[in-house]
Amino acid sequence: MGERSVLVIGGGVAGMQAAFDLAEAGIKVFLVERTLSIGGRMAQLDKTFPTNDCAICILAPKMMDCYRHGNIEVLTFSEVISVEGEVDSFNVKILRNPRFIDEEICNGCGDCAKVCPMGILNKFDMDLRVRGGAYIPFLQAVPLIYALDREKCMRCGLCKVVCGKDAIQYDQRPEIVEMTVSAIIVATGFDALDPSSITEYGYGRYENVITALEFERLICAAGPTGGHVMGKDGKEVKSIAWIQCVGARDMRDNRPYCCSVCCMHATKEAILTKEHYPEVETYIFYTDLRCFGKGFQEYVNRAKDDYGVEYIRGKPGEIREKEDTNLEIFYSPSSDKVERLEVEMVVLCTALIPSEGVEALAGVLGVELDEYKFFKLKDPYNFTETTRDGIFVAGYCQAPRDIPECIAHGSAAASRAMEVVLGGNRNHEKSQ
Amino acid sequence: MTEEIRIGVFICHCGINIGGVVDVPAVVEYASTLPNIVHAERNLYTCSSEGLESIKAAIKEHNLNRVTVASCTPRTHEPLFRATCKEVGLNPYLFEFVNIRDQCSWVHMHEPERATEKAKDLLRMGVAKAARLEPLEELTSDVIPSAVVIGAGISGMTAALSVARNGFSVHLIEKEKEIGGMLRNLYRLYPTDEPAEEFLEQRIKAVKEHKRIALRLSSAVRAVEGYVGKFKVILDENGIEKSIDAGVIIVATGAEEFEPEGLYEYDGERVITQLQLEEQLKKGDLNWAGIKNVMMIQCAGARGEVVGYCSRICCMNAIKNAKLIKEAHPDINVFVAHNELQAYGEVYELYYRDAKKAGVRFLRFPLERRPKVRRSDGNLVVDVFHERMRLDIPLEADLVVLSVPLVQNPDATQLSKMLKVPLGQDKFFFEAHVKLRPVDFATDGIFLCGTAHGPKDIGESIAQGYAAASRATIPLARGYVHSEPIISSVNEELCIGCGICESVCPYGAIEVVETEEGGRARVTGVRCKGCGTCGSSCIKRAIKMYHFTDEQLIAQERAAVVTEVIS
Amino acid sequence: MKSEKFIKTAVKREKENVSVISDIINRTKAYYCVECGKCTSACPLSRFGDYSPDRMVERALLGLSVKPDLRIWSCLTCNRCKELCTYGVQYPEFIRELRSLALEERERGICAHGEIFSVMKLLALPHENPQKRLYWLSEEMKVQEKGDILYFTGCLPYFDIVFRDLEVHTVEIARSTVKILNKLGIAPVVMNDEVCCGHDLFWSGDTGTFKRLAYINIQNIMSRGVKKVIFSCPEGYRTFKLDYPEFFDLDFELIHISEFLSERIEEGKLELKPLPGLRGRGAEPHSRTDETVTYHDPCRLGRHLGVYDAPRRVITEIARNFVEMASTRENSLCCGTSGWTNCDSFCEEIRRERLRECINTGAKIMITSCPKCLIHFKCHMSNRKGEYDIEIVPFEVFVARAMGLV
Repeated sequence: MGERSVLVIGGGVAGMQAAFDLAEAGIKVFLVERTLSIGGRMAQLDKTFPTNDCAICILAPKMMDCYRHGNIEVLTFSEVISVEGEVDSFNVKILRNPRFIDEEICNGCGDCAKVCPMGILNKFDMDLRVRGGAYIPFLQAVPLIYALDREKCMRCGLCKVVCGKDAIQYDQRPEIVEMTVSAIIVATGFDALDPSSITEYGYGRYENVITALEFERLICAAGPTGGHVMGKDGKEVKSIAWIQCVGARDMRDNRPYCCSVCCMHATKEAILTKEHYPEVETYIFYTDLRCFGKGFQEYVNRAKDDYGVEYIRGKPGEIREKEDTNLEIFYSPSSDKVERLEVEMVVLCTALIPSEGVEALAGVLGVELDEYKFFKLKDPYNFTETTRDGIFVAGYCQAPRDIPECIAHGSAAASRAMEVVLGGNRNHEKSQ
Repeated sequence: MTEEIRIGVFICHCGINIGGVVDVPAVVEYASTLPNIVHAERNLYTCSSEGLESIKAAIKEHNLNRVTVASCTPRTHEPLFRATCKEVGLNPYLFEFVNIRDQCSWVHMHEPERATEKAKDLLRMGVAKAARLEPLEELTSDVIPSAVVIGAGISGMTAALSVARNGFSVHLIEKEKEIGGMLRNLYRLYPTDEPAEEFLEQRIKAVKEHKRIALRLSSAVRAVEGYVGKFKVILDENGIEKSIDAGVIIVATGAEEFEPEGLYEYDGERVITQLQLEEQLKKGDLNWAGIKNVMMIQCAGARGEVVGYCSRICCMNAIKNAKLIKEAHPDINVFVAHNELQAYGEVYELYYRDAKKAGVRFLRFPLERRPKVRRSDGNLVVDVFHERMRLDIPLEADLVVLSVPLVQNPDATQLSKMLKVPLGQDKFFFEAHVKLRPVDFATDGIFLCGTAHGPKDIGESIAQGYAAASRATIPLARGYVHSEPIISSVNEELCIGCGICESVCPYGAIEVVETEEGGRARVTGVRCKGCGTCGSSCIKRAIKMYHFTDEQLIAQERAAVVTEVIS
Repeated sequence: MKSEKFIKTAVKREKENVSVISDIINRTKAYYCVECGKCTSACPLSRFGDYSPDRMVERALLGLSVKPDLRIWSCLTCNRCKELCTYGVQYPEFIRELRSLALEERERGICAHGEIFSVMKLLALPHENPQKRLYWLSEEMKVQEKGDILYFTGCLPYFDIVFRDLEVHTVEIARSTVKILNKLGIAPVVMNDEVCCGHDLFWSGDTGTFKRLAYINIQNIMSRGVKKVIFSCPEGYRTFKLDYPEFFDLDFELIHISEFLSERIEEGKLELKPLPGLRGRGAEPHSRTDETVTYHDPCRLGRHLGVYDAPRRVITEIARNFVEMASTRENSLCCGTSGWTNCDSFCEEIRRERLRECINTGAKIMITSCPKCLIHFKCHMSNRKGEYDIEIVPFEVFVARAMGLV
């Protein structure tokens, strides 16, 4: 057997941290990411709570550190399709989806994107910006290698003509890479729930009801509007309300859990709004303000006292769009009152749910998920252990947690994998 | 000068982060007029792969021997640009960073013209310094392949066990006679309701049986010397002084329960804390006969009452005890008066629902009208203002349980001084970066886990224990550490051995040693963080700070005030 | 024999009588309430009056008194709160059980229509009070005594008489339904010994009488060898579908006429033509006599049973110029009263709001599939002559008109 290595599935903060720790300890790591770039959800955020650090500014160096690390092989646009064997010797097959642009040759100049006549909504920007058929998901993408969207591509051939390096390959085929690893870490993160089914809030029907992740792209200086918080009509809004627990703590669709981050996420978005536009009115509707992390209570105090963010307890029962597209929110601040609040924009803090495709991956890995599709723990007090020896879990895909917790969790899973690789520890701790 | 100075300048738009305020093309144009500049360009993102490739290409093409980037902050980006220079054979210390984001586009966002002028000034200064930079070499030193873990609660035990399983020996230091920490006082654990004792027993066994873990019970840390790779921890073990050498240190000293003296009629008998309740439940010596109503009060002493923070675990802990009481004694009314209810995450919300189903009743009070406990004819009455109904509800209680916050261990202040690591505003240990480095300290080789970092429950403490183990294993597994060469150095010919530098150094990196010429200051390079305190305090100007030499800084300052270009 | 089996199972599922509030809390999951106020903010009553579902629940949870509170009779049981509650509190059931408890202590709400409940109780004794329930049938309608498909008429013949001054003509609903079925080649069974489904009594807390009515209806239906029961009344449909099975086993299928017709359209067995004067599929696109049509979701058919698409499927075949009101489907506003209790000025406000929503769409016709909604809206409009230029049309009548049957 050759070099002992570890497979990390998912290139968000948790996966990157796990990969980085292992690599630093001298262990070879394969970091598999389904999208075109590592970075995960954090890359989509404008700032982070409770320090208001610029997310991409602090994340980009970490992404580069990971990508440039001599012990880490980053496989983007790739999926794990088969895992056989057992701890210490998992035989893994990875499907490398074709980018239709040669990874080795492309230097990321972007000329192909400049000439591409296609206009396709960019998922990274929550469909709020148009990209070409030849694209990278965002400017700081790592690796900086373009890809062709072959589903939409008309094969006009412009990119091929313009590419000075002849990197365009329309007939590139999927490739399967095989490897043997000692341990596996799963860190597949989350998706945001599409709140259209929560009809009382009118997402999809009302113009200016958006989701928190969409807002994140709106207020981001590098986002589709250059950081201007505007409605669909392009006018900057004067009042915004955030609604917590949209689709979370909700038994109607069997999603009773709390997503742990939205109270602070909304607080951050309200603070950022106030920093950009001190005159804009900001309201946060919540049920229990979950400010349990380090520095969170103080952050909320600042939002209230220094920025004038208004917190209103209660879940609104209904939103109505008025003729001028203003939104009327019905809420009940105490049990003897129903009130209406008119705002120009409503931001729904939607449930964050385990990523799409997690069931198939669990099947491939031979591990169990729980009722809500989070990776199931063998021992409820040990957050790193899946139901199979040698397969560990990190980040939001195990249960809701914020960025530092995901990072700590990534490191924690790394230590478990080190136990296998460095210490020859083959079994999950038996209820220890 | 033996070598021609050839400086390349790269100016970053950072999207519109800088470019939206600072006139970047104008700064580029200005840069080209400065002395020694052979190449100047701008990038949308200098830190992107594209930008970095562009730096490398320019170094090669123009034979650059100095590189200056004007972009964001060296805090996050300097290592990246240095590494980029190194990749194409340029000594990384011939790189100079100019921050035109924080210092120009951010602070002067409403004055774009003046921000642009300032960016030019800063760039001129940076280039002046760059021209005088010297190549430096990184230092490496060996790592003693063992760890010291201070505190044998659940997080310390977990960290110790994982480092040991990773193949390294561990000294696990505990001030009490037995390991286990706060878990030893708990009755049952949420969310499984399993007895804490059984849970702990298995884990203690694993720690005790591991051949690479040496337990140091009844031990207190007296002093810590050394630096990453070569720490020396002096212990008082049962009254005997011992010294342990280790490559890394993990701090897992835990927290303790706040004592609510003078609050809510606290008397330790009928008004008790959650931990006191658990001790009584564990012993089984609570007399339930006279108890019909149990009242739990959340945030007692927390969230602005005494301490400012939310203690994270108290809601779940109260829910657990309330549920256990209600399940064992269905006839007893159990109320939990709370403000926000922290049943966060996946499992805890379900557990909270279980408690509601079991019949525990919850009342919400506004934080500015907390419940009041009073005694009336020998009975306890809790007045709760019901937030939603806007109604005062007096509830008779036979037992009042206060959910008080976890607070930092009093030993922590001393330990933080010994380790030279900081405590935060809330007195908990302060990590290197709130977002990105949750279990590291800014000081290399020292790590943090468990409630010493802030309130946490069992699972969270275990996860952090593993995380600290991972971070601590890195230098152990490598066997060596690198350190930056930006350190101080003493010109022994000028030094008079006065010892001022030794007294001001916060890292113990400089000391006066006796030589044939008399006392002379010497620097321990690995320990030195390059803060410059010694250099600025030296009355003989005998201390040189690499990368911040007098010559370099004076040139930079001169460039700040002399605006016309001088070669 | 079926009837024997039925009698056996009838005893099997007898429930114990409602006893104490804590049992009610447990049965209706009221303990899950976190007082987010979502129910209150969307409750049609709360919007106009001092009413709060969560306050009622919270009082019960804390052991404060709730029963003598007359407001337990105000609840519309429209399911708006239950539909919105994210924690799973079954408030309408909570209220129903509280009413049951109150009734045991001889408390009851203010009935808007005199002694209607006493009448219903009398109707539960068919043998002592022989009725003429089939007076509305005419020669050209084909019905039978026994068969596979039964049409449960419900209170339509009764309402037609009681609310004659409102010109609700509810028997037209029954006539339309039979004619539509005939057109589809079906001669439904209709029963002269049909009794009230018990819906209103059940929701007023009179579980005892309710069970007697249910027993009689099920026995009568089974004795005719029926395989499928078609309803035009959403209340009857809900009661058979959700409440009867709580006490009895049913071995026949239940379907609402809108679902039945929608299925036929899907199967290609029913082709509907646009109503003259209305724009519909195949009609002249710019016909000057186009009417805009909207649909009011009755709470029983919509939120209680989740039937939203079927009536729309049928209506849009006929009227292409179909519009939705501001609150629609699961967010629909209620017609303002349920179970004939506590109809007051707030209830009138709800109706006014709903009719305004209709007017705001520009629709001249509001279709509903519930006779009670029809009665309530017509009642409101009759007291405000000239204020509303809209017509409330029962679903079945609307379809029958399009088919040229009426």
